[in-house]
Amino acid sequence: MTKKLKVSFPQKCIGCELCVLETQRQLNKVGLEGALIRVFRNKKADKEFLEYSIDVEPRINDLDIESIRNICPTEVFEILEDSNDELIQ
Amino acid sequence: MNSSSKKVLFIDLERNTSEVKTFPDLYKYIGGIGLGLRLYEIYEDKDPIIFSVGPLNGFFPYASKTSVVFNSEGVVEDMYFGGYLSTRIRFCDLDSIVFLSKSAKDAVLDIQNESAVFKEADVAPKSLGLPGKRSFVSFLDKKLVLDDYFTLPENILEKKLQKKRLLGFSVTGTGTFTVKDETKYEELYKQLLTKTPLLTVEKGFFPSCSGCPMGCSKSNVGEMGGNVLVHSLVACSFAENIYSDVGTVFSCLNILGYDYTHEDIENLPALVQNVLKNFS
Repeated sequence: MTKKLKVSFPQKCIGCELCVLETQRQLNKVGLEGALIRVFRNKKADKEFLEYSIDVEPRINDLDIESIRNICPTEVFEILEDSNDELIQ
Repeated sequence: MNSSSKKVLFIDLERNTSEVKTFPDLYKYIGGIGLGLRLYEIYEDKDPIIFSVGPLNGFFPYASKTSVVFNSEGVVEDMYFGGYLSTRIRFCDLDSIVFLSKSAKDAVLDIQNESAVFKEADVAPKSLGLPGKRSFVSFLDKKLVLDDYFTLPENILEKKLQKKRLLGFSVTGTGTFTVKDETKYEELYKQLLTKTPLLTVEKGFFPSCSGCPMGCSKSNVGEMGGNVLVHSLVACSFAENIYSDVGTVFSCLNILGYDYTHEDIENLPALVQNVLKNFS
């Protein structure tokens, strides 16, 4: 079974971007360009705080996703095992 | 990343022009407040507002602030914004962004890497640049706000920006960098992440600054004054126990390819003090 990184709790995201920077370091670079995770922030007029959304490219699963999950201080990510692989086989 | 000089984007609000200049002789000021004060001294006659980052911003955790140096009613002030601005300026491959003179009309700026485009005053700064890679300064209910959340302790910078007729700006950095010794870099990065108990602030679930895992309740109020080395790096003052340690700072700088010596780091406060003496 293939392991996949899933954004399970986006509401817990604090926007620190440690996941983005971890992903980039695994690709031997520092910066935001070409990152396989992107964190977008949004401020709603009636809310005091920011809300975050997290986009993850499927290619992320070729990286060390356990390190990406573990670096998040608020446990936004989960690693799921994709049982569809077995069905395909 | 230029590890032997400082690169500065100058934006002349009066002439609607911008240019990048490189300063090998400012290398010893490291960044942040050190670099900002020296730039202020050089360009004082143009009434500059100087946003500066340090060499660790974007590269190491808790190096998450941006220093702002400017003259407010005859006093040279230094203030520190949280949010995302520091990593964006760093990923522009810039050490400072300097706003010179005063605009003839209300203006908004779109800064992307080393270029600045003047926009009409009715353009919202948050609509400029690239989503996920930008940071923006704007006025929200007459209050100066960074990234819709982060503010400064006093309202003197907003008065200064209003005086210069600069209503906001967006900074987008798309540069990527490599670190020569990736293994050692990764080790040091992860080692610093384990030092959160040394931070003098509680963990929380508030919007955090870029590169900081704390999510603390203090991130949105900014900072004024404090440790010269920490503010030259420009790290969070709650991480002073980490970044006031010369050995740690030397290791971080060394891994990134900077050739500062221990003495350079130790002598920085005196160097900055000498610049300050010229103002008084």
